[in-house]
Amino acid sequence: MAALKVSVISPEATLFEGEAPSVTAPAFDGEVGILPMHAPMVTTLGKGVLAIGDGQRFAVEGGFLQVVDDVVRVVTEKASKL
Amino acid sequence: MAKGRELKGRIKSVENTRKITRTMEMVATSKMKRAVDRVVAARPYARALADVIASLYNPELAERFPLLRQPAKEQRAALVLLTSNRGLAGAFNANLIKEARATLARLEAAGTQVELHVVGKKGIGYFKYIGRAMAEQRIDITDRPTAADAASLVDTLMQRFVAGELDAVYVVGSRFNSVLSTPPTTDRVLPVAPPTAKGAQKDYLLYPSAEEILTELLPSYVRNAVYRALVETVAAEQAARRTAMKNATDNAGDMLNLLRRTYNRARQAQITQEIAEIVGGASALQG
Repeated sequence: MAALKVSVISPEATLFEGEAPSVTAPAFDGEVGILPMHAPMVTTLGKGVLAIGDGQRFAVEGGFLQVVDDVVRVVTEKASKL
Repeated sequence: MAKGRELKGRIKSVENTRKITRTMEMVATSKMKRAVDRVVAARPYARALADVIASLYNPELAERFPLLRQPAKEQRAALVLLTSNRGLAGAFNANLIKEARATLARLEAAGTQVELHVVGKKGIGYFKYIGRAMAEQRIDITDRPTAADAASLVDTLMQRFVAGELDAVYVVGSRFNSVLSTPPTTDRVLPVAPPTAKGAQKDYLLYPSAEEILTELLPSYVRNAVYRALVETVAAEQAARRTAMKNATDNAGDMLNLLRRTYNRARQAQITQEIAEIVGGASALQG
């Protein structure tokens, strides 16, 4: 199965860049899980924990998540590593 | 040998000055490297934001967003001038102030009331000196500006733009094209000029809706434009300081060469004269 190319981007730096089998993000209305082959999507984020695969976790607040062609970009003003 | 001692003193003083300027050059070089890293690190965010806004934006939506409102005439505008807190950077601050004054003159000639927001001691000092009122003076933004600094600068301006108290917001700062090219520029950050999409559009699933996503992203876009201006201006400041200090160091070197040559010549002339006197005295005794 193809992997997702994930990046977590804040205004000041790119906090994470790499591949992962899945991403779980806190969307504005609840958690959203992304797996490979997901349809192109843009959603705003709420406040919560962003999990990349079973490894990296970030606390995020606001911003958005974009999925297109197995590339996931999480773009947020407030993100910190957990 | 009164002249010799005087020259020696000057040589010492120029040597010390050169030590200082050389150190400042090295400090500016390393600070510039870090500032440039921040400029580069800020790019993916700007790109991602512009990308998504461009793919969601369409002119029909525009009318519903106060941040995109295009006023027929600019009655009142705000100008944010970014300068540095410290000098010794060549014409860096002077160029920025010149650019700001040109923009001010242009806006005021068009009948716009402009309020001035100045960041950095150098700009504040200048406008205090010419006696122009400033709406805001900030000296707390360091050479490591954060996204929070940008937000604190522009958020109230954004609110006032939405409320209709301002018709435009301009930012004067230095663009950082390269180490040698850092022209002062005026950017209009409000009303927002939406980035245009290039290439084929993806058909995105949008949650909650294009409108609500834009509502959230447009302020981020404005804040990011200001953040970018801040980091680029810092990088340009350090580049300007490095160049200025490099020139100062080089000039000190030239001056030292000249002084040393003059000193050695004077010393040699004195020795020659002493020998001539001794020889003259000896031959007088023999005669």
